Amino acid sequence: MGGRLTPIRGEITEIVGGLSSGRTSHLLACLGEAVGRGETAALVDTEEIFDPASAAEAGIDLRRLLWVRCGGNREVALRAADMLVRCPGFALVALDLGERVPRLPTTMAFRLKFAVRRTDVALLIVGRRRLTGSSAALAVETLREGIEWARPGPAPTRLARVRTTTRVLRALRGAPGQEPSSWWCA
Amino acid sequence: MVVRVSRFACVLVEHFDAAAIERCEPALRERPLAVLNPRVDRPVDRASTPRTSTARVMTTVEANAAAREHGVRPGMTETEARARCPMLLTRPWVEEYVASARHALLEAALAVSPRVEDGGAGTAYLDTAGLERLIGDAAAIGRRLMHQVRAIGLIPRIGLAASRTAARMAAVNGPGAVTIIPPGRERATLAKAAITTLDLAPDVAATLGRWGVRTLGELAALPREGLAARLGPTGLRAHDLALGLDRDPFRAWTPPPFWEEAQGLEWEIDSLGVLAGVLETVLERLCRRLTGVSLVADSLEVRLGLASGGHHARDVALAYPMSEIKPMLTLAVLDLEAHPPPAAVTRVTISAHPIRPPAGQGGLWQPPAPAPRDLVTVLARLAALVGAGNLGSPLLVDSHRSDAFTMLAFSPPSDPAQSIQPRHDTAPSGPRLALRRIRPARRVEVETIGERPTRVEARLVVASAGPWRASGEWWDVQAWARDEWDVVLGDGAICRIARDRLAGHWYLDGFYD
Repeated sequence: MGGRLTPIRGEITEIVGGLSSGRTSHLLACLGEAVGRGETAALVDTEEIFDPASAAEAGIDLRRLLWVRCGGNREVALRAADMLVRCPGFALVALDLGERVPRLPTTMAFRLKFAVRRTDVALLIVGRRRLTGSSAALAVETLREGIEWARPGPAPTRLARVRTTTRVLRALRGAPGQEPSSWWCA
Repeated sequence: MVVRVSRFACVLVEHFDAAAIERCEPALRERPLAVLNPRVDRPVDRASTPRTSTARVMTTVEANAAAREHGVRPGMTETEARARCPMLLTRPWVEEYVASARHALLEAALAVSPRVEDGGAGTAYLDTAGLERLIGDAAAIGRRLMHQVRAIGLIPRIGLAASRTAARMAAVNGPGAVTIIPPGRERATLAKAAITTLDLAPDVAATLGRWGVRTLGELAALPREGLAARLGPTGLRAHDLALGLDRDPFRAWTPPPFWEEAQGLEWEIDSLGVLAGVLETVLERLCRRLTGVSLVADSLEVRLGLASGGHHARDVALAYPMSEIKPMLTLAVLDLEAHPPPAAVTRVTISAHPIRPPAGQGGLWQPPAPAPRDLVTVLARLAALVGAGNLGSPLLVDSHRSDAFTMLAFSPPSDPAQSIQPRHDTAPSGPRLALRRIRPARRVEVETIGERPTRVEARLVVASAGPWRASGEWWDVQAWARDEWDVVLGDGAICRIARDRLAGHWYLDGFYD
């Protein structure tokens, strides 16, 4: 991965981690990569946390991004993601479940798995903890390693960079392990 | 030797009013069916009462072939028709059914020839000159016509001849479903046909009857000058028709701008699930008409007749021109779910605006995108799930105000070259750190030393950077001014808080993640 995560087409990828660990930055990077290729992506946003300004600054063409806001309703978010992964043509469907990840029945996880295989969509799930168990082809945990401040004067005026690393929790291809760190610019 | 082919075709659907209803209810096709006029006032003379009163009598307007085998004929009262055929099924005469079937027949004919004439309900004439190079001989044209008309749910009889009259006579009297009169054989072929098939004016028909003229051959044999002297222009026209000659100009039919299909209901529907079944039936007929002539609909209107007497009309937006039943049905049902009719439904009418399908082809190296048909369906379903306002593409507003954006309908550009490149002034040197927004920004209690925050909601601030001052719209009533701080809390979370300088309150904008 080289510090950057690439969701697998036709599989489920999960990113888990605590607040400020870099999971949302990974999510933005994945969306940017898909949209940058001229493909179409969708974001199911359970808690409406998506910041369009951050995305635009990251170079994401927002016109190719379908943003679905679920008002904090996790059941609705899961149903919306289920609908989107059954629509062929999306390169990436991202599901941000936020801090309170619901329990997902195994049957539902398998439904998602077979749906993404059929439509060849990459499903990326972001949350505090893992959701789909063995149905995910790749699961990583994000960890923060350091912070840098912008300091033109004696006192810092802005957050400059955050360094994170990823730990592979589950990978159908390759062995779990630690990945190199990456810097994220604020 | 050059063989001259027939130039006109006549498509005739017998017992058309009944056929129009059978088209809507195909299960009735094999059963005796009579179409009744719903309200006929007939004077009734009562011997016991001196004055004349009126009574509403249901009379038969049309009967299908199965009913006619039992002796049911147009003009009979319902009682008389039922006495002749106890198994008789009846339906009221509905103008919309007949109009839809009539237009469908003409549109089906239009799929074969660009010049079509409306010959009345159940009759269409086609100018087939030149079609032999496209389709083949007269028999091939007849087969093509038969296929097109059967596709819309009607069973025609077809005649091909050198004139419209001869073609119509061939369709009416021909031995098979498709009858072709060879060139030059019109008079001989028509000679045995009964004169009643000409639909002459009653006085002319009565006069000819008194003369003992029973067949077209006998009429054609009469001296033309004598007919002109005795019957005038109507007599000459009858003579021309008997000879198989057309004197009337060909009046080409132009399809209407909106195509309509309707379905009356025997019972009231107050459930959307049941209504969806009716909508599917009506859409199926409409889409069959569209696909028959290679057209698509770019707008759809659903009109529901209500039991209360009113109407409930909905314009269903189609994201792209289509002729597929499934996405149309999904969109119509989702729209009616969002805007249900106020009363039970007794009639369903759907009209579509037909256009030619826009030609388009994706590039060879263009990445795959959701098919418009799939995309419009999933967007409609998502809109029903989360609300239309919570769905779309964000568009940044030209403002420095925090979290300023608006939502647009999702419509990704078809050309990948149209992708917006990152702005050079804002594009970072590395991957971008994301902010997890809290919407709306949550008001928090912040302890400070000087300006610098030390605790946020009683959580210790271990590091902070700021203030990052911003303000705007000071010239307006919605002026804003804020100091932003990036702080690291004791539990490791990095958040952005902001102090509203006008109100003096602190807000939590979100977490860097």
